Amino acid sequence: MENTKVELKLENVSKSFAKIETDEVTHALTSVTTTMESGEFISLVGPSGCGKSTMLRLIAGLINPTTGKLTVNGEEIEKPAPDRGMMFQKATLFPWLTVKDNIAFSLKMQGKLKGNEDKVENMIKVIGLENFREDYPAQLSGGMAQRVALVRSLINEPPILLLDEPLGALDAFTRMNMQDEILKIWQEKQQLAVMVTHDVDEAIYMGTRVLVMDAHPGRVIADIPIDLPFPRDRGSREFVEYRIDILNKLHFAGKGAKE
Amino acid sequence: MANATDTKDLQNLTRKQLLELERKKKTKLQLWADLIIFFLPFLGGLVAVLEYKLIPDNSRNANPFVYEYFLYILMAAYAVYSVVSMITLNKGNRDMIDKQRYRAPLFTALFLLFAGYDYLTLKTGILTQPFVPCLNFIANAFWRERETILECTIHTLYLLFLGYFIGCILGLITGITCGYSKRCRYWVDPIIKFLGPIPTSTWIPIIMVVASSLFGGAVFIIALGSWFATTVASMTGIAHVDKDYFEAARTLGATNRQLVFQVAIPHAMPNIFAGLTQAMSSSCTAIMIAEMLGVKSGLGWYMNWSKSWAAYDSMFAALFVICIIFTVVTKSLEAVKRHMLRWQIGVEK
Repeated sequence: MENTKVELKLENVSKSFAKIETDEVTHALTSVTTTMESGEFISLVGPSGCGKSTMLRLIAGLINPTTGKLTVNGEEIEKPAPDRGMMFQKATLFPWLTVKDNIAFSLKMQGKLKGNEDKVENMIKVIGLENFREDYPAQLSGGMAQRVALVRSLINEPPILLLDEPLGALDAFTRMNMQDEILKIWQEKQQLAVMVTHDVDEAIYMGTRVLVMDAHPGRVIADIPIDLPFPRDRGSREFVEYRIDILNKLHFAGKGAKE
Repeated sequence: MANATDTKDLQNLTRKQLLELERKKKTKLQLWADLIIFFLPFLGGLVAVLEYKLIPDNSRNANPFVYEYFLYILMAAYAVYSVVSMITLNKGNRDMIDKQRYRAPLFTALFLLFAGYDYLTLKTGILTQPFVPCLNFIANAFWRERETILECTIHTLYLLFLGYFIGCILGLITGITCGYSKRCRYWVDPIIKFLGPIPTSTWIPIIMVVASSLFGGAVFIIALGSWFATTVASMTGIAHVDKDYFEAARTLGATNRQLVFQVAIPHAMPNIFAGLTQAMSSSCTAIMIAEMLGVKSGLGWYMNWSKSWAAYDSMFAALFVICIIFTVVTKSLEAVKRHMLRWQIGVEK
């Protein structure tokens, strides 16, 4: 599966939600058309309500579009599948399973656990939690839990990795460490990674392309390729220019910017 | 101890060694107090024996040695317990001896309670004989009636577990299905709302009229109570599974069936166990009422039957047996629960 090349296409995708109490309709995402390919790291960045999470959940297949079409290699996305691994903001580790069993969950669900125990062991090694193998999630710190959640979604070697603000709940230092860890895995496997974040720095630091999104209605307002070699320097002039550019597009630039 | 604090050793410190290291040193006085408290139950036992042997009886007493031996057996049991604790302490495990030290005052109080009860009944008759029989009478009755009591105990346990398991299994099935399927809840909810508030014992007179066998009727009543408790608990448990877990499981390739068995049910386990515990307590109540009112065997029946023969000593003996078996049953259920829910340690603060 490792070398599977994928092409993810969004054609005119819109998603609206009916509000529960009033008769109004929220337009979470309006007519997005874009193509993403293996080897890309796409950052979706924007203020809350811009539809970035909706877009990710559409790709995951957790929800279906109101209009438009999402396809992977020409095949329409209808429901979640293990070849589109997803990591959530909350680790959502199953509290009744040990670290090992959480990581093995996906293999077990597909009846592929037998003969693949070494894969699980390998994942435990990747995140350095050998001593916590038999522990339950309640005993883990936030950073450890997110690491387990990361490898849990990677165990199938999914050609598409979806990250829904995976580092949002972590402290600044754990967060920076995890950014590098995720990048390392992505560079090794060359999957297509799509990450939602509200942190512009994180979007630029990790992404090969940043889709800037805005709210009311939710839409993509810019598609910016980040042309910087990895590992990136958060303090470099180019980096800062990208940041100013993106913040400008979101009307958040500092004093002097007019629009 | 000072050597163990070397930084080199500190790296390989086990949890137990750490606790040992950080324990507050007890003063000499505290150590002596611990030692005395540890042996206090023997003193309590001695008081009970002396009270029994030295104070003259106020009323007739038969086979006086039975109660005396009973006290000796209890003291011997405590002695065995102490020896085992000390052996484990010698092997470096403090847990057992600490627990025994913690419980020692209670054991002492138990002996003193025996002495006090004996004083109020046999020695002074403040509690009138034979209506509140002295412990020696109860112990004698237990020994005399051991075969009948054993038979009744087996019958009670059989009835209890038969009804309990039937009720719980059906309750789990309805509860889980209803927790998961809205259509099923639509039909079952009214039944629960309507029948729920009625205590199961209300059914007993009706069952006595309608049922062809009282045994079957009793099973039905016990099962009904258990069914109700397990259904409600597992239904709430399943209906309140965090939807994030379902989403995570779906992206990991779980099928609908797997969502039920691998996510919803394990997640609802704490609720389910709460239901099982409640079912057990309702079953215990129901079985006693059933046996006292209709069923012609079992400990509840035996108590009632003894009463009608004015055999108050047998009645009390059966009461103690009931006490013991219900405690054992509840404790076993608790142990199963603790084992199954060990992942919860640290979840509940």
